[in-house]
Amino acid sequence: MSNTPHDASRLQSDLEQLRTALRAVEPPEVDEAALRARFRDLQQQRAQNAAALRPGGSTHFHLAAAAAVVLALGGILAAVVLRGERTESVLVPVAAEAPLAVPAPVSAFQPLPNSPSLLPSSSYNVVRVRIPLSAFAVVPGTQQGGSIEADLLVGEDGLARAIRFNEADALLVSVASQ
Amino acid sequence: MDQADPGSNDRVDVRLLAEIVAGVEQSFVELYRRRHNDVYRFAFAMAKSRSFAQDVTQEVFLNVLENASRFDSAKGTVRAWLFGCARHVTLDRLRLERRWTDDMPADVGTLDSDERLLADQRVERLHAAIARLPVEYREALVLFELQELTYAETATVLDCPIGTVRSRLHRGRVLLATMLDENAQAASEVKSSVGAPLHAREVCS
Repeated sequence: MSNTPHDASRLQSDLEQLRTALRAVEPPEVDEAALRARFRDLQQQRAQNAAALRPGGSTHFHLAAAAAVVLALGGILAAVVLRGERTESVLVPVAAEAPLAVPAPVSAFQPLPNSPSLLPSSSYNVVRVRIPLSAFAVVPGTQQGGSIEADLLVGEDGLARAIRFNEADALLVSVASQ
Repeated sequence: MDQADPGSNDRVDVRLLAEIVAGVEQSFVELYRRRHNDVYRFAFAMAKSRSFAQDVTQEVFLNVLENASRFDSAKGTVRAWLFGCARHVTLDRLRLERRWTDDMPADVGTLDSDERLLADQRVERLHAAIARLPVEYREALVLFELQELTYAETATVLDCPIGTVRSRLHRGRVLLATMLDENAQAASEVKSSVGAPLHAREVCS
């Protein structure tokens, strides 16, 4: 640059040079296989979500939806159980960005809606809780008495991230709801 | 990317985006191949950092995967839509990294063929000055002057009236010229002080 003030035409000329230089800038190579894999992941998630939202979906879906309702109120629940219940610190394998409310084996953790993403590298506590069935108002026929055992996956910040149900209890609920 | 027929290019982009929504994997790869340079260069022009530009590009195309169905051709071209996505991602990241204007680090990394193209001193200083502009002027200048969007396209990306774009461009250019003059003056003063002999008092005090 010289010491003379930048007049408009000179600035424009410099901008043109910068534009030309930028045009020659090439981004680094990107692994297209990774792009394709990401695309397939997302398609799979969408398909699972669509299956879960179909009318007449499985009881597991109802359970997951019920869990979502319960744990929307769940800050309170998690806080209570964290104080009183046995905890164990574990590194939990996470189904990366698993869709919410997807039918899955009862023993698998279901990510909770509106909670931060699960990260394979983070540690979580598993907290066993017993939830009154009255809380599952969205599951037909389960409003009366009883409770269900579930495991909550609680992050280090004390917030619940995922839930799984005790298989035997879940079967009871399943029978009760039919 | 061929700029000869932007209408035809946009029709291809629109088709690819529709196919992405329909689940065609190859269309996603194709759109990436066609447009990732634009996104990368926009982010590089904004932040003057290759790693930053790479991260922004990756995030923008992940957003495309998830939000392709939100594209509305009535509001502009796919290219402009991608710049809009890139702008949001860039601003979020700049905000996150507190790199708005006064804490802008110099680009790190080795001088490879890309940087050598920018190594001309004037161009390098101009880019550095742009990267220090307040972001509202910076994004307008980058989109209009460096990415060669029209006034209307720039206004669409920035989500503001064309008059505002013109005003930001004008103020941005004035500010840019002032910054470059100040830099030149400072450089000149440093040069003259280095060349001048030291006085005894300055050495001994």
